[in-house]
Amino acid sequence: MSSNRVTVTPEHLVVEPVGLTKLWSFTRRLQFPLEHVRGATFDPGMRDEPKGWRGPGLGLPGRLSGTFHADGKKQFWNISGYERAIVITLDAAEKFDRLVITVDDPDQVVDSVNSALGAP
Amino acid sequence: MGRPRQFEERGAVAAASAVFCQRGYASTSVDHLVDATGVHRGSLYGVFGSKHGLFLRVLDAVDAHDSSSAERLDVILVGLLELAPTDPRVRERITGLLEAHDITAEHLGSRLLARAGLSDERLPDEKEST
Repeated sequence: MSSNRVTVTPEHLVVEPVGLTKLWSFTRRLQFPLEHVRGATFDPGMRDEPKGWRGPGLGLPGRLSGTFHADGKKQFWNISGYERAIVITLDAAEKFDRLVITVDDPDQVVDSVNSALGAP
Repeated sequence: MGRPRQFEERGAVAAASAVFCQRGYASTSVDHLVDATGVHRGSLYGVFGSKHGLFLRVLDAVDAHDSSSAERLDVILVGLLELAPTDPRVRERITGLLEAHDITAEHLGSRLLARAGLSDERLPDEKEST
């Protein structure tokens, strides 16, 4: 049911939109070097955040896919339900400063991202 | 932009520290942190990167000598219980705090009991000196 598959390798964070959201978000796969990843947070409260303006992508209640622009930066959103939403922040080297995505197991994904960042 | 972010950050970290001590790490939501710090969600993410990043800053803040030893112990206890088993950065910082402030297992145990109202608040070495 999740809309995104997140994989952490020793060097990269990989986010793959699953199923139809792949089309709507115009994104098959996002890959970031771990040194550009600042952290991950489980945050259902993103539901009430201003999203900024969209382009390109799709927006329906509770479902949101695509690139959004706010505060002069780009955010990648791929949400199907906020109750399992996570926020991944990236540093200035990346074109997105934030990814807001729904995953199957938010706690597990957040812990694996944050632990990988601290690995020696 | 001309804002004294240094002060804002320090206040936000102190407010976050109180929330983490009261609720624990996992039970603290970003909504709780937004409410307690008065900082917008977008700025919290921008400055600290994540809830985890903010907790690391709280661990750094209780290293300062002006923070109370009860608060320091509470933050360490939350970190030990919820994060340290799987989180190398938290484990490393807590190791540093234990060494820098001569915190023993007995201090941690006494504080844990005191928090639960099962013993008096004084630390073991304070008892010895009275």
